[in-house]
Amino acid sequence: MRFVVRRLGFFVLTLWAAVTLNFLIPRLMPGNAAIAMMGRYKGHIQPQALHAIEVAFGINTHESLVHAYFTYLGNIARLRFGISLTFFPDQVTHQVLQALPWTLALVGITTVLAFVLGTFIGLVSGWRRGGMLDGALPPLFVITSAFPYFWIGLLAIWLFSIKLGWLPESGGYDVQTNVAWSWNFVGDALTHAVLPAFTILITSIGGWILTMRNNTISVLAEDYVRMARAKGLSPGRIMWTYAGRNAILPNLAGFAMSLGFVVSGAILVEYVFNYPGVGWMFLQSVENQDYALMQALFLLLTVAVLVAILAADGATAVLDPRTRDRA
Amino acid sequence: MTAVTAAEPTATPGPEPPLGEARRGYGADLWNAVLRNRKALVGLFMLLFFVVLATFPGQIAPYNPQATDFLPGLGPSSAHWFGTTAYGQDVLSQVIWATRQSLLIAFAVGGLATVLAVIVGVSAAYLGGVADGTLSLLTDVLLVIPIFPLIIVIAAYEKNSGLGMLIIVLGALGWSYGARQLRSQTLSLRTRDFLESARVRGERRLYVIVCEILPTMTSLIVATFLGAALYAVLAAAGLQFIGLGDPNSQSWGTMLYWAENNEALGAGMVLWAIVPGICVAAVGAAFALLNYAFDEISNPALRMRRLDRPIAGARGDAVPAVPPAADRILEVRGLTVAYATDGDPVIAVDNVDLDVGRGEFLAIVGESGCGKSTLLYAITRLLGPPFAGEIMSGHILFQGRDLVSLDERRLRHLRWREFSVVMQSAMNALNPVLTIEAQMRDACKAHSNMSDKEIAKRSREVLELVSIDPIHLHSYPHQLSGGMRQRAMIAMALLFTPDLIIMDEPTSALDVVAQRSLMVQIKELQQKLGFAVVFVTHDMSLVGHFSDRVLVMYAAQVAELGATRRVFAQPRHPYTRALMEAFPSIHGANARLTGIPGSPPDLARPPAGCRFAPRCPHVMARCHEAVPPLYDVEDDLVRCVLFDKGTVVEPSLVQAS
Repeated sequence: MRFVVRRLGFFVLTLWAAVTLNFLIPRLMPGNAAIAMMGRYKGHIQPQALHAIEVAFGINTHESLVHAYFTYLGNIARLRFGISLTFFPDQVTHQVLQALPWTLALVGITTVLAFVLGTFIGLVSGWRRGGMLDGALPPLFVITSAFPYFWIGLLAIWLFSIKLGWLPESGGYDVQTNVAWSWNFVGDALTHAVLPAFTILITSIGGWILTMRNNTISVLAEDYVRMARAKGLSPGRIMWTYAGRNAILPNLAGFAMSLGFVVSGAILVEYVFNYPGVGWMFLQSVENQDYALMQALFLLLTVAVLVAILAADGATAVLDPRTRDRA
Repeated sequence: MTAVTAAEPTATPGPEPPLGEARRGYGADLWNAVLRNRKALVGLFMLLFFVVLATFPGQIAPYNPQATDFLPGLGPSSAHWFGTTAYGQDVLSQVIWATRQSLLIAFAVGGLATVLAVIVGVSAAYLGGVADGTLSLLTDVLLVIPIFPLIIVIAAYEKNSGLGMLIIVLGALGWSYGARQLRSQTLSLRTRDFLESARVRGERRLYVIVCEILPTMTSLIVATFLGAALYAVLAAAGLQFIGLGDPNSQSWGTMLYWAENNEALGAGMVLWAIVPGICVAAVGAAFALLNYAFDEISNPALRMRRLDRPIAGARGDAVPAVPPAADRILEVRGLTVAYATDGDPVIAVDNVDLDVGRGEFLAIVGESGCGKSTLLYAITRLLGPPFAGEIMSGHILFQGRDLVSLDERRLRHLRWREFSVVMQSAMNALNPVLTIEAQMRDACKAHSNMSDKEIAKRSREVLELVSIDPIHLHSYPHQLSGGMRQRAMIAMALLFTPDLIIMDEPTSALDVVAQRSLMVQIKELQQKLGFAVVFVTHDMSLVGHFSDRVLVMYAAQVAELGATRRVFAQPRHPYTRALMEAFPSIHGANARLTGIPGSPPDLARPPAGCRFAPRCPHVMARCHEAVPPLYDVEDDLVRCVLFDKGTVVEPSLVQAS
């Protein structure tokens, strides 16, 4: 119980840190981007939008910093992120909710797939130490894991869209298709998801393969694996319930650790493919200096990472009785 | 009985190398290991290539990278290897000049992040208490907040803020992973002797950290640097690519930004978009390869070594002692086991013969590193990591079948039903994620068609045999006490009541009282169920009470083998005598315990003659000439020239001392 409370406390603290960074960064930056922006926008946009900028930067107010901070915290707690400049006068929350399903489907599914597949390949590769798979894969994936995601995306577009013309090069669906739950639309969306999914998959899978392979090799030197061999268990049984079950535990912890990496890669992939998800919207908001939207999306990304870590914690608790006892 | 916890008979330490000596060794060893590692060499050369480009771009690049002197969008030609940009610049020249900034970012960010990681990680671990709590929390929070989006947020408020800002932000946010690892490494170092001694000497904290702790963590610090540099290269390229860098700077990310803005891929200027990406990937791969290689160097388990041929000249040279029982269940002949190392193979078991009779209790005794555990795992055909030795020659006849030539499948049918194993530490030998019952079920399912009900019944029975409440079938190993775990493992070994149980120091993890009661229980079970035991230990006092015969090993060879009673009454080999003097006698008078001077030989370079000669009080000239054979002295085998019939020695030495 204490363990669970401590863990949740940590998540709340992290969330608070992210919110506070959101509040502090614009107020601490040297040079006043906000004033310059206000000057640029004055007369071009509605006063309501100007006010949104004022709130975001904390200028033209007579509030103290502390007071402004608590107002800000209150707004965040009620999920009031303000009005988007890009999609004026739409609420930020509404915009974010529109982009979220796309990212959940694309990045969520491919990340889980990459983790499961990579863990499996890593296990087999570590188990068949020095075999064909093990000889070829680790060096290959050491190298691919160092490739920039967005560049793999560019290569994929060039090869499969421009050269071969097999798959669409950008967007989440064809603009001519009606957005509705029809076979037509779902099929179209899937076609558009193939290349970005493939890009995320091949760049992120290498990391899982390598760590799982190394974990497996370490676990194979453990006494309980030797004991399993002494017991005359079948190799499959030893690989899964003795080596695999134990080797995956540090991999789950690693999953939490490398999520930040996956998120940053996914943002760039969405950008390269103009995929209508959270990452693309995040970069759009940066481009358009839509700070309210940007802040909300940054918080969303933090929450997404925290939720995934919580899921990894849960999986660890299911697989490892020692953690269960501590919880 | 003396209340001395059984410990390995410690060799009197020789002169220790001075601390400074040892520390200077780390750097040199590391460098040698890097030069031997193929992945590291490839990474190093790739990096060197780009360093040369970055140092002499003016001499190497054919044109001015910014000059728009050429036709836009040219394809590759001998004048422009990679074509030209949409603005008529030479792509090759741009790529070469851009190397400078990309490498600068990598090294500067890597350096900055490493320094921060060392400061935070080491001081958290070294200071402990509140400082540790605060710093660790900061590290963990930063580890979880997605860094790249945070950098984008900062860059969004401060567009085109230049290189310095980029380096500071990347460095200031990229240290958390390294700090966490350095902290845990420092924690594990804190209690080491050399730090204790520094503390006792009254060295100042800063001095201890800089001069004592950091040098031992060289490889982890290098790995932190490489990881941070890799992340910097990728993050900087990503930021510049989406237009958050200075668009006028010369970097690969900026080149990709302009290429993307001009739709280079669609417009036929493919190399403009591909070559800078290849460069980012290549520098990234170089750092990743080096990082991976360092992982291999600091974690030797990841490296593979192979022995490819049996060692010539290994053969039997002695007649084995006849066991007391008429029928033997185990006969080992000329068994030789070697380990692959970076140099010559090391022979850890050298031509060993032994027999075990039905229902017999054979003890194998020796100092650590003498090859006794290797012998045991060779007999059970369980060699493998971390005992990555291989049987080079010899035979292991178990109930008439040669285990050496048996393939793994047929071996599996014999395992556990015919012979089972009890390991040193049940904490490590029981699978931590399965209940005791599940681990018993595994074994039962592998060798029988027992129903779940029968399995549960049998599991309860064996637990009761070792006096554990069957309620613990549903416990996980970590929920049991040390003694209970050890008993549970013995219970598991009894599932099929095999003819032979092989035990590797099954009591050494327990305190003296628990040790004795477990030994008594093993002995009772053995008498009740009639299985034979091969028992490895370093504790002479256990041997005396419980075994029928004892085999003394020294430096991979049999030193003495005979009936326990006789060996204890009249130890013949000088090493056996020394061993007995190193242990408190169970019922003997108060005698002074003496250690054995010197230390066992390095098995990679064993002495030419008798291996005990350098430590032997009775050494003579001929001891150094050749390895003595095993002499048969009244059914006792002794590897010592004192017992050669031709040797003239003082009778007092040959007689019991």
